[in-house]
Parts: sequence; C-alpha cells; structure tokens
Amino acid sequence: MINLEMSEQARVDGRTANQLRPTLCSRSLLERAHGSARWQQDNTIIMAAVYGPKPVSGKKEDPERATLEVLWKTKSGIAGNADKEAEVTIRRTLEYIVLSSMHPNTGISIILQVVNDDGAILACAINAACAALVDAGIPLTGLIVAVSVGVTTHGVVVVDPTKVEEKNFRAHVCLVFPNRPKCTVAGLPAPVGGEPAEHGIITCVTRGAMSVDEYMNCLERGRAASVKIAKFTRTSLEHCQRSYEIMS
Amino acid sequence: MEANDTVQTGPVSPLVLQIVAPGDIVLDLAKAGKVVRLGGGLRQDGDSVVVTRAGRLRHMQANNKYWVEGSQKRYVPNVEDGVIGVVVDRRFESYSLDIGAPTYAILPILAFEGATRRNAPNLQPGAAVYARVVKAHRDVQPELSCMDVSNKSSGFGSLKNGYVFECSTGLARSLLSKPMCPVLEALGKRFSYEIAVGLNGRVWVNAQEPSTIVAVSNGILASEFLTPAQQHIMVAKVIERMQ
Repeated sequence: MINLEMSEQARVDGRTANQLRPTLCSRSLLERAHGSARWQQDNTIIMAAVYGPKPVSGKKEDPERATLEVLWKTKSGIAGNADKEAEVTIRRTLEYIVLSSMHPNTGISIILQVVNDDGAILACAINAACAALVDAGIPLTGLIVAVSVGVTTHGVVVVDPTKVEEKNFRAHVCLVFPNRPKCTVAGLPAPVGGEPAEHGIITCVTRGAMSVDEYMNCLERGRAASVKIAKFTRTSLEHCQRSYEIMS
Repeated sequence: MEANDTVQTGPVSPLVLQIVAPGDIVLDLAKAGKVVRLGGGLRQDGDSVVVTRAGRLRHMQANNKYWVEGSQKRYVPNVEDGVIGVVVDRRFESYSLDIGAPTYAILPILAFEGATRRNAPNLQPGAAVYARVVKAHRDVQPELSCMDVSNKSSGFGSLKNGYVFECSTGLARSLLSKPMCPVLEALGKRFSYEIAVGLNGRVWVNAQEPSTIVAVSNGILASEFLTPAQQHIMVAKVIERMQ
C-alpha cells in the first residue's frame, strides 16, 4: 500500500509533489537595459529586460499614467497566439503592481526572452519580470510571486510541473500571489474578507479541466509553494543589493 | 533638549539600515512624531509609509527624514541634485538638456551667473553642462539652473573639453560621498585631473593628457564592485600599466 502511494507521488525527475525545482535568479546582467533579471527553474529559463520610464509619443502617451508594454520573444520561430496571450496576461498582471501614475507621459517596456522552456514558463516569466522591474527601480506597490501547479490524471496535485508533466497532466494552472511585505505596523497589510492579504489571487490562468475541489487544492499547494519562492526572491534581492554597497 | 527632540520625532522605524523591497511598510505616521520627511523610494499610503523602490532604508535624525538608497541606471530628477546634461536643442529663452531622465530638462538662458538678455552664454548642441535641478515634478519638464541659491555660479556651468561617461546612480553617489571615495583618492595621488560627478550617473573627467583621462575614467568604472582595498590595488595596476 505504501509502495503504491510512493509510486503515485514520485515524479519523472524524482521530486515529491510539493517540491519546487532548484531556482536561480541573477539581476543586472544586461549592460544597456535599465533593469534586467534572469530567472531559472532548473531547465526553464527566462531573461527579462526593462527599459524606462522613457518618452513615448502618439497613441501610447497617457497624461495620467505610464504605459506598460510587454514583448514576448520566443526561443525560435515567429510569435503565435499563445505568445500574444502571454504578453497580455503578463501586462495585466504587472499593471497591478506598477505605480504608473508616478511617471505620466512615459512608457515602460518589458522584454521577455525565452531561453529554454521546460514547463511553468508563464510563472517563470512573471517572476523574472518582477525581478527586472525591481532592478530597474520602477516604483511598485509590492512584489508578486508566481507559481505553477498541475493536476495529474489521477487527480494528484503537484507543484512546478515540467514540460513533459504538463503534457501528460489533466490540467495545470499558473497562480500569482502578492508577496508578504516586511511590516512594522501592527494590523497591516489589512486583511481582506477575514483572510490575510497575501492570500489574494492576482492572476490565474488554467489549462485543461479540473473540479472545484481540485482547484481549491491547487490554490492551497500554490500558496504554500509561493511562500518559499517569496523567501527566495527576498534573499536574492538582498544579495544583489549588498554587491552594490561593497564600496562604501 | 535632546530628550525633547526624541519625543518630537518619535520612535525610529526598526527597518532603518535594513534592505527593503517594494511594498514593505516601514512607518506608522500616527506614532512617528509631528514632522516626517520622505525622500526617494517612499510613499504615503493612508497612515503608513510604504516602500516603492528596493534599497537600504536610511534615516536622518536631524530632520527626521527617511529615504531609500539603491542603485539604478535610470535617473529620476530630484530637487537640489547636481546633474550633468548634454544640450540637445536651443530655443528662444532656454536650452533643452538630456539629463538621462524620462523627459528632457529645461535650462533657462538667464539661469547663469551674471547673464543678461544681451550677455548670455552661447551653448551649442552637444555641449556638456553641470547644473542643479530646481524644479522636479512628474507632470512637467524638470528645470535646471547654473546658479546656487545665492545666484553665484559656484562650480556650475558649461564643461569645456574633457570626457563624459555614464555609470549607475549608486556609483555616482559613492563618488560624491565624504570621506572621499578611495578610488578618487588613489588616482589623485598619481594624476592631476578635474572631475564633475552628476547624481544622474554621468561623470565628466578632464586632464592635460588624454591618456590620464582614459586611465581615470577606466579606473572609476572598474571600481563599482570593489572593496576599498581592492580599489587601491586596481589603481596601482592602472598606474603600472601607464608607465
């Protein structure tokens, strides 16, 4: 019986259901971009570059806020509908955290280059874009954490699926949560509807079909995994910040 | 008197000198004393102060000012910053300068010491100017001036000859720090050069010999991620290679 459970939980790469792939993040790699980051989840690698706030002209100029532009560069070939959809999803997600009213009449470009796709690409791209925005010093309301969760044909929920897993799974979902900030004021960030603010969902993109119970299970596992990624984001940011300060 | 001051300013945020990320809540305004000044990277949200930019949180006890110190490649103008701009256009009453900000800055023709309508400096497009930001608001173009508050030039003005290069705002700030940044001190022992550092991440270097200008600029650019001891070694190597 125990063996059966084990075989159900063991994954192609030997991870357990709740185990994320080794994650790496390096910042400020590109010389000419105003901010850049490379986010790696084992074999899934995204390079993000941020340019701006820069002057824009014509239709894009908005006297009330900065306009966000996301460009998705595929590894090879021309951009298809899926890539266009990713662009829109990421733009709408980032608009939630960018304080665009701080730089009216300007534009911010975010370029996402897929270096390698081995599953959870959307979550990886959102994490990379967020890190690059922080690196560029764009004013933000907070940080976000993206995590991908899949449901196997047996209804088992696993986090951070690889490309092969995504193909064999019944469904998978990309969830984006707010990062829990450091706080010195009691009672903040204010809970919404009795739940802590970091439990809110900013973006949710599902592929395939799953039951309500499975979705709720995905949410729970996703939240648990997002705490780990959030912690990692902060450590990587602090490490990067220290390297700037060696001089003084 | 001192005790009185601390009562006025209230308790200091426990996050001071720590690395903060966007969204962090650093201060409760209800408990922070009468006057709190907020510098770059912070914003007021209701009764709390929230971080918008990553960096280290700093606090100045004297005027109860908080700000976030980080390093960026893009400059956002702030009043009283010394910046280096490049003239891009000349209009009837002002010059347009590229200071690396989202929009071009305006430098009025009369904003030079002793300038009159008849006698104003004539700058050509491409000229480098060291100026002070006097107006910085997100909805209008930033305005510059080549005079200090008492209408004296005090070092501001057109930068003739020399070489301008770009660096991060963090490096520019450390070049301006006191006590003097180790790399400038070490270079100064061997070379005689003139330098102007703009907080917008532009540095102007001038010297008698072009080779000195190259050595000094390369030395400064190479120093960004080095410790003071490493900077001295790096400068020694630069000097060695020159001979």
